[in-house]
Amino acid sequence: MSASPEATTGTIYDIGYRHYDGPRLGRRAAVTSVIGAGLRAVFGLGRSGRSKIIPWGAVILAALPAFVAIAVRVLAGELLEVTTYERYLWEIGYLMPIFLAAQAPELVVNDIRHRVLPLYFSRPMGRLDYVGAKLAALALALLAITLLPVLLLWLGRVLAAEDVVAAIGDEADALPGIIGGGVLFAVVLACVGLAIACLTSRRAYAAGAILAVFLIGGVVGGIFAVTGEALADIGPFTSPLTILDGTRQWLFGGPVADSPVAFTDLPLWIYGVATVILTAACLVVVAIRYRRITT
Amino acid sequence: MALISTEALTKRYPGGVTALGGLTVEIGEGVIGLVGANGAGKSTLIKILLGLLPATEGRATVLDLDTATQGAKIRELVGYMPEHDCLPPDVSATEFVSHMARVSGLPSGAARERTADVLRHVGLYEERYRQIGGYSTGMKQRVKLAQALVHDPTILFLDEPTNGLDPAGRDEMLGLIERIGHDFGITTIVASHLLGEIERIAGWLVAIDAGRLLRTAPLASFTEQTGQLLVETEDEVAPLAERLVTRGFEAQATGRLMLVDLDTAPGGDHGVYDAVRDEAVALGLPLVRIEHRRHQLEDLFRTDPTAGGADERVA
Repeated sequence: MSASPEATTGTIYDIGYRHYDGPRLGRRAAVTSVIGAGLRAVFGLGRSGRSKIIPWGAVILAALPAFVAIAVRVLAGELLEVTTYERYLWEIGYLMPIFLAAQAPELVVNDIRHRVLPLYFSRPMGRLDYVGAKLAALALALLAITLLPVLLLWLGRVLAAEDVVAAIGDEADALPGIIGGGVLFAVVLACVGLAIACLTSRRAYAAGAILAVFLIGGVVGGIFAVTGEALADIGPFTSPLTILDGTRQWLFGGPVADSPVAFTDLPLWIYGVATVILTAACLVVVAIRYRRITT
Repeated sequence: MALISTEALTKRYPGGVTALGGLTVEIGEGVIGLVGANGAGKSTLIKILLGLLPATEGRATVLDLDTATQGAKIRELVGYMPEHDCLPPDVSATEFVSHMARVSGLPSGAARERTADVLRHVGLYEERYRQIGGYSTGMKQRVKLAQALVHDPTILFLDEPTNGLDPAGRDEMLGLIERIGHDFGITTIVASHLLGEIERIAGWLVAIDAGRLLRTAPLASFTEQTGQLLVETEDEVAPLAERLVTRGFEAQATGRLMLVDLDTAPGGDHGVYDAVRDEAVALGLPLVRIEHRRHQLEDLFRTDPTAGGADERVA
């Protein structure tokens, strides 16, 4: 052998420890990075294909009515209306508990169960920052279901119109309701999902608990709505989704025929109050839970 | 220069447990051993210094920053490796450590680069792309160390870093800590109840017991020679001690061990050696060993007054 093996195979040099003298971006960057990592976790990015099925399936199913409605509008014009902005969130409401049950635990349960929190809290972020970042991540992720599809529908309706410029004018009135409703649903649902998820130490329990709250509440609310006067008044308050639908109607208008909200004559502002109470209660639960966790 | 200082630092937990009782100490650079029995207050001290726990009374500064008001700034500049398991099983070491680097405030490019560097330094190579759930205890301890080191802290707090490791793993972990302290130049505070390990790596010791400072000094002074001669015999040593006392020596006997004070001995060191030899011969008492007694780390936590070291305790 003429050449030594070192000459041909290359050598690994230990260049020693290098100190870091670049920027340290502090608390805000810490929060942003937790939000970013949270979004990646919710949508299963960088994880196995299996963990992408539910979030992406939900996003696609949520957008499906919008695509159908646009296609019908292109083909049949304004003769046939598949869905409306007002009805949209109520119609895809079944997807929200599923998305929440599958992805909210993903964000918080592992950090509690495997005691990762001390590693976060020994960095520039505090407990409040951490909880805020997780809530923000979940709410942002939920927008993919509560806002994106309705925006798609809006865009489709504008582009499908013969006079696009005139259509923008016609449809512009609906935008505040679309955006406001989407944000409302996303923020409140994120609070509810996180509050339930952070109480459990296993993802399966958390998912089950979230599904139970929405399913049982929804079924009970439906039964109450059709049974009688007094019960019909309680009906809307058994599920977060109905409370949110009532609040949406109060803020932006647009009744939904088959929502329990339609089966009672309660003034709509009561739903707004209920939403505030629900959100506050969830935040209190989260605050107490994270204050109690010892590091 | 003191990197860390505490003044009458007190921590009482709800329920009446006092973890720290008026601890005042200054800690400088190097590898510092924070020693004490389980429950002595080591972990509590570290958590207060990190700003994870509020102190009940007193104050503490880290890098001249107040732990009560500038905790976030402190936590940007220190690294912490907790005693317990703290790793999520479903991500890879690379992903987790670089995420932690970003939470520490590093831009994403720097976070990736330093993650690769640090994982190499702690000895994780190909396995760093696998999920942490499949790691051995030794590998997990390395990841815990890597996440504490990834943002290049000025001070590193390690809480019982050799917990759960086998002897070979312990040796490697201690070697790593030594490298970090000496070669990397990062002041490392190692909390441990294992004195033998601390003895191997630390240059300075802070000994605490029941939330109070026992002593803080360079390691060497903990093991320096005392002013006593230790004599071991084959049988009860008491008769020999009595004879020495009558000759004017200060001698204490316990079982087969005797301590003779050298500083007060008539005739100095040589006088003591000669007297012990002569009296032992006269008694026909076989000698096993005669040596100039050294302090031992364990003395710190002994309550036996004849074992020495007690006179140097800080009240």
